[in-house]
Amino acid sequence: MIATPATPAAAPTKERRPFDPKALIVLPGIAYMALVFLIPVLRLVGDSLRGAEGFSLSGYDRVLGDPYYVQVILNSLQLGLVTTLGTLLLGYPAAMALSRAKGQWQVLLVALIFLPLTVSIIVKTFGLTIMMRRDGIVNWLLVNLYVIDRPIRLVFTEFALYFGMINVFLPLMILPLYSVMRMIDPRLGEAAASLGAGPARTFFRVTLPLTAPGIVAGVSLVFSIAVAAYVTPGLLIGDRFMTMSQVMAKAYLNLRDFQLGASMAMIMLAIALIVIFLATYLARMGVARDPPR
Amino acid sequence: MSLSAGLAEAVSEARVDPDYLRIEKVSKRFGSTTVLSDLDLAVGRGEFVSLLGPSGCGKTTLLRIVAGMLAPERGQVAVGGRNLTRVQTHRRNIGVVFQNYALFPHLTVAENIAFGLRAQRLPAALIGERVKEALAMVRLEDFADRRILALSGGQQQRVAVARATVVKPALLLLDEPFSSLDRKLRETMQIELRHLLRDLDITSIFVTHDQDEALVMSDRIAVMNAGRIEHLDTPARVYARPNSLFVMEFVGQSTRLGGTAAGGEHGSMAIDTGQGRLRAPGSFMAGSAVVLGIRPEAIELGEGPGDAFNTVRARLRDIVFFGARTMLYFEPANPADRILVDLARLPGGLAPGATVTLRWPVAETLVFPAP
Repeated sequence: MIATPATPAAAPTKERRPFDPKALIVLPGIAYMALVFLIPVLRLVGDSLRGAEGFSLSGYDRVLGDPYYVQVILNSLQLGLVTTLGTLLLGYPAAMALSRAKGQWQVLLVALIFLPLTVSIIVKTFGLTIMMRRDGIVNWLLVNLYVIDRPIRLVFTEFALYFGMINVFLPLMILPLYSVMRMIDPRLGEAAASLGAGPARTFFRVTLPLTAPGIVAGVSLVFSIAVAAYVTPGLLIGDRFMTMSQVMAKAYLNLRDFQLGASMAMIMLAIALIVIFLATYLARMGVARDPPR
Repeated sequence: MSLSAGLAEAVSEARVDPDYLRIEKVSKRFGSTTVLSDLDLAVGRGEFVSLLGPSGCGKTTLLRIVAGMLAPERGQVAVGGRNLTRVQTHRRNIGVVFQNYALFPHLTVAENIAFGLRAQRLPAALIGERVKEALAMVRLEDFADRRILALSGGQQQRVAVARATVVKPALLLLDEPFSSLDRKLRETMQIELRHLLRDLDITSIFVTHDQDEALVMSDRIAVMNAGRIEHLDTPARVYARPNSLFVMEFVGQSTRLGGTAAGGEHGSMAIDTGQGRLRAPGSFMAGSAVVLGIRPEAIELGEGPGDAFNTVRARLRDIVFFGARTMLYFEPANPADRILVDLARLPGGLAPGATVTLRWPVAETLVFPAP
């Protein structure tokens, strides 16, 4: 009755493939990155380890031993995490809707979401501060909707900071999510439903695992840029909420303390890398498989 | 055909519960286009019914309505006496094998098959057992831990069938599941799937635009055209006695001669065609335009004995060799007509250009009103 398939071949052994000269096209990119990224980073490592009398770890010691700087690091982490979480929660459904939109609608929606990227962050952030002034549109709206009695102070609050950060970073979250979601076969959801899976099970067992690569990409991208954000926090909240970027800028520009600035930079790089690896690991382990029952 | 014994069984079972799937007065529009209009269909328990028709005839829309992926504007769908019209897909217990299989690419073969069982929250031990059985049933035991993308098309199809049937669905829907397989494999898989579904005793609706597929696999065929079922019957009867010109043209090949009814009596009439006056069973008003159809294997070469045959003379244009059979194409007097003959063996000395006498039984002449 049923044709017997050939027994599966042994697991393909890792064989060395002959060198393909086409691979050489990566060289210019690698050379460029080495020049503008690797060398400066190595110099930063050097700076962070060089005190007044040669080699010293005092830069790291000063940062990690001082409650003020520890608070700054925690502020930056909070900034990165809240922004990432906010953009993920808002961006995921938006990217989903975008990937399901058809024809003209999709073109329009993609344009609407990505057009803000063409506006300079400084212009955008100043625009936000104008919106959030006491006589700005946000206060006007809240008062007239009877949410608040009289205009409240919004600029230079954490609310303004996260509102602005999420606004600036949302497209960066949607872009990778959208590019992954549009590749997913919509029939998979129907297949799950035909097998008796309700909307929640379909989401957690099918949609979420399949979009995990997009989540990892979006989270890594937004977090690593948001944690280092300088302009937006500076304009929306200022010195009340010091971040690592601001401390670095002060260390280099005002204090001329290169070791302090470089140490802070290395710590920030380490945090960003840890979060990216963590996100990747969690995505692989957490949602890819059904837990054993 | 080896399937005929099984067919008799299935038909007798269908008689026990001939309305197992009941589709009543279903209508569906997309914008201003009516895709289905007041469609009725009843399928018996254990039956295998094909929805056959050209693309755009509404067969896939009907399938999606039965699955709950589309809501009809009017009408209702019931399975086993349970009205499903307003029931969501995941509560219907209707399995679907998709055209592209829609297997979960992030899961292994075994995990794909286990998906529906897990949704039913069965105990893990039972799931393991059922998955193992299903793998054995489709002969994929050695592939349990393979990734879906590491499988061939035929293997993927087997996984899709195992995944849809392992949950013991009340009804199985198949949406052109063979269309991405190559011809040789397709023929093997058709027979294989038919046996499998009969063993499992699953009532199935099969959507296809491929008439050969429908003829090989079905207990009954519903030929669809423009949102309606034009003919619902066994493959043999749909082929031999098509209800309409559309069905005759869509299912199988045939000689086609346009003509005018010239009167007759006692259920037999004369028709004037480009090939002369012919006779056919039926009664049309004299003067009405009709089309005659004759299946190619009904036609033989040479004069017929007695007057139970129609005979025409025509010039042979082409001989097309198919291996087991040979198709002869003739030049009709009227260019809108078509004359073709299917022979098991080609007589020696026959070559294009020869003028040949053809005959076929009057009783096997089909008559339809001209479109």
